[in-house]
Amino acid sequence: MSARVQNLLLPIAVVVVSTVALLFLAGTNPWDPIRFIIEGSIGWPPFEAGTASKIGDTVMVWVPIALASAGLIVTFNAGMWNIGIEGQIIVGAIAASWAARTISAPRPLLVFLTIVAGAIGGMLWGLLVGVLRTVGGVNEIFGGLGLDFVAVSITTYLIIGPWSRSGVASTSGTDIFPDAALLPSFGGTRLSPLAIVITLAAIGGVWILFRGTLYGLKLKAVGANRPSAFLMGIPTNRFLLGAFMICGALAGIAGTSQATGFHFKLIPAISGNYGFLAILVVLLARFRAFWVIPISFFFAMIAVGASQLDLRLDLSSTLGGVLQGTLVLSAMLGLGWAAYRARKHADAADSAAQDAAT
Amino acid sequence: MSLELRDIHKHYGPVRANDGISLTVAEGTLHGLLGENGAGKSTLMKVLSGFHSADSGEVVLDGKSIKLASPDDAIAAGIGMLHQDPLVFLPFNVIDNFVLGSPGGSRLDRKKAAQEFAELCDRYGFNIDPASPARLLTVGERQQLEIVRLLWLGARVLILDEPTTGISADQRSKLFVTLKALATEGMSVIFVSHKLEEVADLCERVTVMTRGKVVGEAEMPVPPEQLVKMMFGQAVEVKDRPAVDHGAAQLKLSDIRTASGMLSEEPVSLEVRAGEVVGLAGMEGSGQDAFLRICSGMRNPRSGSVQIAGTDLTGKNYRDFLAADVKYLPAGRLEEGLIEGLTITEHFVLAGEDRGFFVDWGKAKKRAEAQVDHFTIKGTEASTAESLSGGNQQRLLLAMLPPRLNVLLMEHPTRGLDIESADWVWEQLLARREVGTSIVFASADLDELLRYSDRILVFFSGRIIGELDAKATNVDEIGLLIGGRSVDSGAA
Amino acid sequence: MKSRNHWLSTLTLLAAFALLASACSDDGGTAVEDFQFGILLVGPEFDQGYSQAHFEGAQYAIEQLGLPEEALISLDFINPADNPGLTPEGVAADMISQGADLIVFNSDDMRDGAFAAAEQNPDVPMIWVSGDSAWEDGKDYRSDLSNLGNLWGQMTFGKMIAGCAAALETQTGQLGYLGPLTNDETRRLVNSAYLGAQYCWENFRGGNPADLTFDVTYIGFWFEIPGVTLDATQVVNDFIDGGADVVLSGIDTTQALVRSGQRADAGEQLWAIPYDFVDACQEAPDICLGVPYFNWGPAYLDIAQSVIDGDFEAEWQWIAPDWADINDLDSSVVGFIKGNGLSADAAANLDTFIAGLGDGTINLYTGPLNWQDGTPFLGAGETASEFQIWYSDQCLEGINGVCDLG
Repeated sequence: MSARVQNLLLPIAVVVVSTVALLFLAGTNPWDPIRFIIEGSIGWPPFEAGTASKIGDTVMVWVPIALASAGLIVTFNAGMWNIGIEGQIIVGAIAASWAARTISAPRPLLVFLTIVAGAIGGMLWGLLVGVLRTVGGVNEIFGGLGLDFVAVSITTYLIIGPWSRSGVASTSGTDIFPDAALLPSFGGTRLSPLAIVITLAAIGGVWILFRGTLYGLKLKAVGANRPSAFLMGIPTNRFLLGAFMICGALAGIAGTSQATGFHFKLIPAISGNYGFLAILVVLLARFRAFWVIPISFFFAMIAVGASQLDLRLDLSSTLGGVLQGTLVLSAMLGLGWAAYRARKHADAADSAAQDAAT
Repeated sequence: MSLELRDIHKHYGPVRANDGISLTVAEGTLHGLLGENGAGKSTLMKVLSGFHSADSGEVVLDGKSIKLASPDDAIAAGIGMLHQDPLVFLPFNVIDNFVLGSPGGSRLDRKKAAQEFAELCDRYGFNIDPASPARLLTVGERQQLEIVRLLWLGARVLILDEPTTGISADQRSKLFVTLKALATEGMSVIFVSHKLEEVADLCERVTVMTRGKVVGEAEMPVPPEQLVKMMFGQAVEVKDRPAVDHGAAQLKLSDIRTASGMLSEEPVSLEVRAGEVVGLAGMEGSGQDAFLRICSGMRNPRSGSVQIAGTDLTGKNYRDFLAADVKYLPAGRLEEGLIEGLTITEHFVLAGEDRGFFVDWGKAKKRAEAQVDHFTIKGTEASTAESLSGGNQQRLLLAMLPPRLNVLLMEHPTRGLDIESADWVWEQLLARREVGTSIVFASADLDELLRYSDRILVFFSGRIIGELDAKATNVDEIGLLIGGRSVDSGAA
Repeated sequence: MKSRNHWLSTLTLLAAFALLASACSDDGGTAVEDFQFGILLVGPEFDQGYSQAHFEGAQYAIEQLGLPEEALISLDFINPADNPGLTPEGVAADMISQGADLIVFNSDDMRDGAFAAAEQNPDVPMIWVSGDSAWEDGKDYRSDLSNLGNLWGQMTFGKMIAGCAAALETQTGQLGYLGPLTNDETRRLVNSAYLGAQYCWENFRGGNPADLTFDVTYIGFWFEIPGVTLDATQVVNDFIDGGADVVLSGIDTTQALVRSGQRADAGEQLWAIPYDFVDACQEAPDICLGVPYFNWGPAYLDIAQSVIDGDFEAEWQWIAPDWADINDLDSSVVGFIKGNGLSADAAANLDTFIAGLGDGTINLYTGPLNWQDGTPFLGAGETASEFQIWYSDQCLEGINGVCDLG
């Protein structure tokens, strides 16, 4: 087994083992919960007829996670921790909501416009993180967190303020968008083939970006070593901004899908924290675009199916949160271990190189 | 105190840095450890001073096997290591540095320590003001301080790792006198170097290492040719470089001042002509760095102007300089030059002229293979930058240079390279003179400066204190200037 | 309500097929022993507040029916922040497939999900708590949703009692009301508290109406969100610094009681009245004048019984307290528990006031009353209809503060 595959499988194994252990502790056999999560997300046996609606939900949860993950691969390769991705999703959703609420156009055009608006909104919000970083010298983690916060505030302000629903303003969000603005979906479910196509295209695009383009190679160079890249004549700041804009645009489309393809309105928690989840997905995927597809689907299945633990097994509903936390921690643990092993190798090489240099 | 190393193994992954080293240093001897870069000398000394623990093998001191898990253990056993860059805390004054690391924890008798410091200095003829801030000391004085400190801590074995790098000739002879005196008093001294003359001058016995193994031992004196043969398998012959006619001014600085720190005192004006090689001498951080950054557009001067090949580029940025065919190669090859994680092919793609959107990897690989071949880089097109040795990293960097250059700026072009690689590097660089490239390089190696420069600028604490014709000067003169002349107390 | 009939109609179509396939249950009710009660809770099951009150209400109904606890299917944290992948209609579908015979959506926030679920399962009785979709005379009547009823308690009375208690104790004659976000429901409660306070100030304290100051400050949301809403603690401080000595809370969290309690500990004479949950006084019992609370058990029992009997109807129910004893947990949907801070005299007056509300001799929504902008609300002697009270689109004249942030 190659070290690459090992480094990928190891964290997943740690996740599975710790999850099963946790379920044992919670007093259930581990198979039932897994089966119920599968049943609750894609049906049991999987993709059984009559579970179309659930499958639709799961796929439409997968879409924003996968899109955000694809975007994060770009910023991670550029050496940036784009914690601001949450804000970029949210602002994308806000921009798409604005388009959905104000523009009247035939459905295909309006859907296209909401997606473009979402992408632009996310892109600008991403650009802002980048500008703070490159011009203001604000670390992108802090800048991003700050802008996440601002984005949440704007959403809440809009929902209880200018965009509050007719009659009773409430946390339930804005009014439902007109039909013409909603992502076209399949057979009465939320499942939107268009969203799937866009997501797969985005993942493929990111794969090609780093596989075959000079732009991607330069981004990678900027991420791996900014001073060297700069000395090679790469305008590093421009590339950092580019990375934030690409990621922001993809996050913005994720937000669009949330608004016009899942909730059909703007709600306060529109991002679903999928941006943070996507960070985990990308770390687990070791920054490889292809792996984003199954890993984010796995998280989508948990997001949709975990309620079954409470409904069917009467496990405390907080177990879902504990489960998620365990997943995150054990994934980090697994990654940490993989990184430790990698570092040991690197150290060895380093010391040898150092020796050669003195 | 006699020291014996028995079958020391130290591997870093697949690299056998020490592959079964056995070595005996008799009490009161000056023992030279000679070897080219990467031979494993530093690793061995790090094992001996407790910085690394050996994978296997034994260290025997006066017949007793000892365990060295940390530098503390080594010092407690009486083994003191003088590092290449003396471990001096620059913000502290001399006496604080002296007592730093003394055993006994919180109770510190500064008065007594000062007295003992004065006695030790007296005994070895050092002249260091205990109240002076350490940052004002020359490298030679820092070494003296460190030696005195190690003696005070009870060192009976003294290891010196390349101690003559960056010190003046006077300080060097002073150091050698001190070491000889210490040996007479029974101190065992291990002198690590890659410089033949120094080992020949100083040592009574020499061990030669190559590729992690001991390849020879000899009682001195032996003819240098024999040592070279042991080290390289053949004698290296020094070639005279062909002269090149200098053309028009490629780099012209007029009245340059910087805003802060370096180069702040006097305005600098300088012209470097096509095909000319200018060497920058001086202690690390004396202003060469700021100078090169200004020449490369990485930094803008506060006042004055910079012209490249007749075009005024004052106030422009690095990329404008790059467009004007100015290239800067800083010292840190992996830090400011190459990119960890990227392959040789990817480096060539980044450095190449192709500006298409997609990369033709098939073509890029072929081209990279050809370059790897042409520049004799030990690696394949798929090797990552960090997997290459220092010499091969430098080869890669040179291979990545654009074919046409007006000005090439370099820091330490051959630092850490073995002689063969260093010669190769200079062959490449000197060949660039033929097409009119001006070369400005900073180096700590005085031989290198003298051998390859047409002119040498000597930097001292932020200004240029001497401009020398390389043919008309010598190591001693440069060494004196590097030490700041008046500040150098080693000349006593 | 804007339509989104395209996808909803396809959803309905699909639901219809699903129903055909599953050979739907008969309309004649359910055997008691087979009855299953499904409830979706917006917050945690044990939040010491809103969702817990609903959960306990459902538990009460199950117990009274003599059913085991398995007959209650509940899922909490049904909100997009905690469970972004869940939708109310999806959870409802799961509960129905598990055998739930009644689905309760406990929050106003589940509105769209409740509509979707009702459309997808037209034969399953459902309740959207706090809504008005089943009110024929209401503004948002959905005649098409014949299986979705609404339930709410007449907290207007609870707030009148709270306002009265505040007026009975205040020494400064200044009251502060910590409002959440501005909408019809919250304005209705502010108005009720104000009317209760005015009445008791004049009739028990013999005060001049002009000497009672009633300030409301809306923080902007159900709870404090740093950076978005006002700082609730700061608002409480401002009330007190401005001279108020009783703070009434209309928000989900306990800043009014907690902050007043802290300042009372430091020697100031202050009181507070929390909201929602029967045990809410616990945070600072000695300065608590009492708490108006919901008790959903009796209402849930009635609804469950109607489902079992097969005569469930989608009604809009706005249930008044049981005036025989508003704190009878077996019968009253709204109650008011007196706190330790209430003096014996005040408690006696409060009982008189409650009795008056109960027997109808006191109707505070009687004119003349003006809206805050001066336009007439009720003419002299005119009493308000449920419609007028429910859709309170302004605060009343006499209340200081902005009641329309939107």
